Amino acid sequence: MDVVAVDISGRHAVAGRYIMVSASVAARISPEGIERTRRIRLVPRVADSVDMEVVIDLMEESVRGLTGVVLAERGDLYNLERWRVESILGRGFKYPESRGERRAMELAHHASFAGRRLALRLMEEGSESLER
Amino acid sequence: MRREKTAVLLFREDPREPLRPEEVTELRGLAEAAGYAVLAEVFQRRGRDRRFQLGRGKIVEAASYGPEKLIFNEPLSPGQIFNIGKEFELLAMDRFNLILEIFASRASTREAKLQVELARLSYEAPFVRTIESLKKLSERPGYRGSGSYDVSMYRDIKGRMAKIRAELRGVEETGVRRRERRREFGFDLVALAGYTNAGKSTLFNRLAEEAVAAKDQPFTTLSPTTRAVAAGDRRFLLTDTVGFIDDLPLFLIKAFRSTLAEIVEADLVLLVVDLSDPPEVLRERVASCHDALWDSGCYAPIVSVLNKVDRITLEEAAERCELLKDLAPSPVLVSAREGLGLDRLLELILERLPPLEEFIVCLPASEAGMGQLSRLYDVAEPLEVRYGEEVEVLLRGRREIVAKALKGAERQVPETDPEHGTEAEPKSEAEADLEPLPHEVGVTKG
Repeated sequence: MDVVAVDISGRHAVAGRYIMVSASVAARISPEGIERTRRIRLVPRVADSVDMEVVIDLMEESVRGLTGVVLAERGDLYNLERWRVESILGRGFKYPESRGERRAMELAHHASFAGRRLALRLMEEGSESLER
Repeated sequence: MRREKTAVLLFREDPREPLRPEEVTELRGLAEAAGYAVLAEVFQRRGRDRRFQLGRGKIVEAASYGPEKLIFNEPLSPGQIFNIGKEFELLAMDRFNLILEIFASRASTREAKLQVELARLSYEAPFVRTIESLKKLSERPGYRGSGSYDVSMYRDIKGRMAKIRAELRGVEETGVRRRERRREFGFDLVALAGYTNAGKSTLFNRLAEEAVAAKDQPFTTLSPTTRAVAAGDRRFLLTDTVGFIDDLPLFLIKAFRSTLAEIVEADLVLLVVDLSDPPEVLRERVASCHDALWDSGCYAPIVSVLNKVDRITLEEAAERCELLKDLAPSPVLVSAREGLGLDRLLELILERLPPLEEFIVCLPASEAGMGQLSRLYDVAEPLEVRYGEEVEVLLRGRREIVAKALKGAERQVPETDPEHGTEAEPKSEAEADLEPLPHEVGVTKG
């Protein structure tokens, strides 16, 4: 099964702003694990809030062009029912169930976490790219 | 004559999330498994009541049946249990407590008893704390009988929990040593896992030709049982384990960690699924098994045993297999009760177990070499032994186990006979991985 696991890191305010990085892992999985990782994409975003609109917008940008059912943790989408997320995103979506899906989520989580650390370091070093 | 325990089941249906009939069946099954005669089932569609979980009128209705206990499907807070006891003079329990009661009645080994006690204490500790504080407001009969409370009870519970944890650590270490020993003897470990009442024990009895208790009720098995099973030219150890259930609280999973270790450390997990479950719950139950396997850190390959096919039609079986295709790896249709599909299951087990490889091991023709040879006989299957200036053994076994056996033997060999140490044969590409083997033993892959 082709999936795109999405995880957003940085959903907590730092000096009143949310410095987030969304990681998408496009992979082919089996119920037991990941068979092949096709692509990993990181999308940074600085926002003033983490409401549903911001999260969905970031997620949409993050998974654009990647094929497969979108996977995300329940907490990332405020425990919204699956059908609601599907209708907002306009594409196949599910919360992780099998071990393979959880493994893909774990990979996305590591990627977004590492991506955010990198983003913070770049910001500290004075890079303005994130601000732009 | 022993009086039968009686209970009324209470269900609260969330207005946003309708109650599924399977939840009702599951709670009824659990109550019956705990030995309760269910007098009635009371339903209410409403939001959570802070004082009683359900509305006062529904509790009065349930009390009118004259039960010993009220069993709620939703979790009760310590305050709610206190309020129901105080206002209606009835004992109330929730689903978790009911599961604990079943576990307590079935626990037969020392380990299981300790695990159940730890789970019960973990569950009760916050209740005792609340009740202690409420007790200061007024008297009530209840917890631990006759209204006997002690402000130090919470501390006592914490102390007892620490003691049990220490004792369970000892049990866990014994389990780890036992599994290590089994591995050293070259056994592959296969564990049965799955939702409660999926038919794991029945399948275990079929495969191992055993007669462990297997009943059509949840949580028949609490302590793991292991038996050897011969399949083709291999023998593996099959372990029957405790079943999973939806929404198990973390403390319960933690308490049964040593039992779950049997699954975590297995080479292969047979995920038993009751295919006769209605399609609506089938996926959820398999997903909750994946959840439990993931939480316990099990990364072994899985064979999905779709059991109880004798209870459904072929069309239904095909439909349910399709439903589970992204959750059930390597599926095989089986009826453990009727003995259907077992040959295919054994074939799949052999396919998915770590592969056996053939090696040629050269040993010195000395007493020490014979010692090593004898050890190899224990852990692998010798195919041919040629005696010459040195002993050449062609054997089949698992790479890491053969390597470990030779390493172990090496440790036992005194370094007093250096002239018998043979030069290593030119290494093939495959043997590069066997670098940890003793340097004087030449190994090539057959």
